[in-house]
Amino acid sequence: MSGAGASAKVMKKTISLRVNGVQRSLEVEPRTMLLDMVREQLGLTGAKLGCDMQVCGACTLLLDGKPVSACSVLAVDADGAAVQTIEGLGDKYGLHPLQEAFMEFGALQCGYCTSGFVLTAKALLDECPKPSDEQIRDYLAGNFCRCGCYQEIMQAIKAVSGKA
Amino acid sequence: MKNFDYLEPKTVSEACKLLHRHGGAAKVFAGGAHLTILMKQGLLQPEALVNIKKIAALRGIAFDAKKGLTLGALVTHREIETSTLVQEKFPVLCAAEKEVANIRVRNMGTVGGNLASGEPLTDLAQIFIALDGKVKIGGPKRSRSIPVAELFVDFYTTSLAEDEILTHVVLPPLPPRSGIEYIRFSSSSVVDKPTAGVAVRVTLAPGKESCKTARIVLGCVGPTPVRARQAESLLGGKKITPELLAEAAGVASQECSPTSDLRGSEPYKRAIVRTLVKRAALKAYERALGH
Repeated sequence: MSGAGASAKVMKKTISLRVNGVQRSLEVEPRTMLLDMVREQLGLTGAKLGCDMQVCGACTLLLDGKPVSACSVLAVDADGAAVQTIEGLGDKYGLHPLQEAFMEFGALQCGYCTSGFVLTAKALLDECPKPSDEQIRDYLAGNFCRCGCYQEIMQAIKAVSGKA
Repeated sequence: MKNFDYLEPKTVSEACKLLHRHGGAAKVFAGGAHLTILMKQGLLQPEALVNIKKIAALRGIAFDAKKGLTLGALVTHREIETSTLVQEKFPVLCAAEKEVANIRVRNMGTVGGNLASGEPLTDLAQIFIALDGKVKIGGPKRSRSIPVAELFVDFYTTSLAEDEILTHVVLPPLPPRSGIEYIRFSSSSVVDKPTAGVAVRVTLAPGKESCKTARIVLGCVGPTPVRARQAESLLGGKKITPELLAEAAGVASQECSPTSDLRGSEPYKRAIVRTLVKRAALKAYERALGH
């Protein structure tokens, strides 16, 4: 039995979730991934598609405060959850301290991985405001920066830790 | 990815009935860490996903002095890693979880999914088997309980029927004078799947002069995790010495069936298994002694 027969009659689902603090109601197909929904339906394109298999971290979003690979989370599975994207990190007064620190220390070159790194670092600091170097490395071990800005990323996160 | 129906039952029996109705064309969905990848790659094209995350009975971690530790199928890797209860009762699990994939996978992936996927390149099953753990399975008509080892049949194949759901993992309390250690080895990045993962439990006889029971469980080096029974029996009843552990490790390295692949050649993996068994057994022995 293939899924083809089923796909013709698959109904869209209405889900409601908080995105960057704003309550949203959206229609999605069951197969829609959270990353596609956020990028295409909401136009929030900070998170990027990288490996498409939960390895690289470019698509990281925070789901109820925890980092997840949005490339591999079904949008329907986020029903009722709070989603944080990079676009919602700063406020009307300016950027988040982590974003400022990433700029100050030059913790990016091409920027493709950056929103994933910043969101993962935010989740770390929310859980553990003053992490050790080892804790930072462990928590961020699943985010890849192919420009190789790891030292600068460490510096940026350490500069912010304890201040948040 | 092909589309599918998304069903959200509220109870295990309702979920099993839905699975039964689809006769194998539906898949159980929990964390989705494994399933979404297979679906995106077209390796699985289920007609429906049965999301079991709304079933409250499948959540939570509990400890009972007689029964031991019960992990609901929906408990995530990260919950195990950060649980003070697990840290107190089975610290080996917290240590192992720290090295599972990455923080995002650990936040989504569940213990039930980890086992029910039948994925051979993983960690928890070896530890569960070394602890003589069991899995509880719910079905449309009845539930059952089997040793964790009997869950695994072949690559990505388990003994779960099409309409059954793995509901809990139950780990009996560690017997007195016991120690356990798990060591995984990755030949590439630290977040890669393991090349080999070995769990060893040593339970000493009263007086701690000799080994009463040993469990040596080899993972990632065959279609399913496997107990190195000859190596285990080599330790049974004997006084543990470094020489004996080295001998048992050599025997264990021949009791698995690794394939040559990007994570290493067959002889390389056997050599890794030998080293891991030796190290894990020594650590388990030290813990059993109370050091």
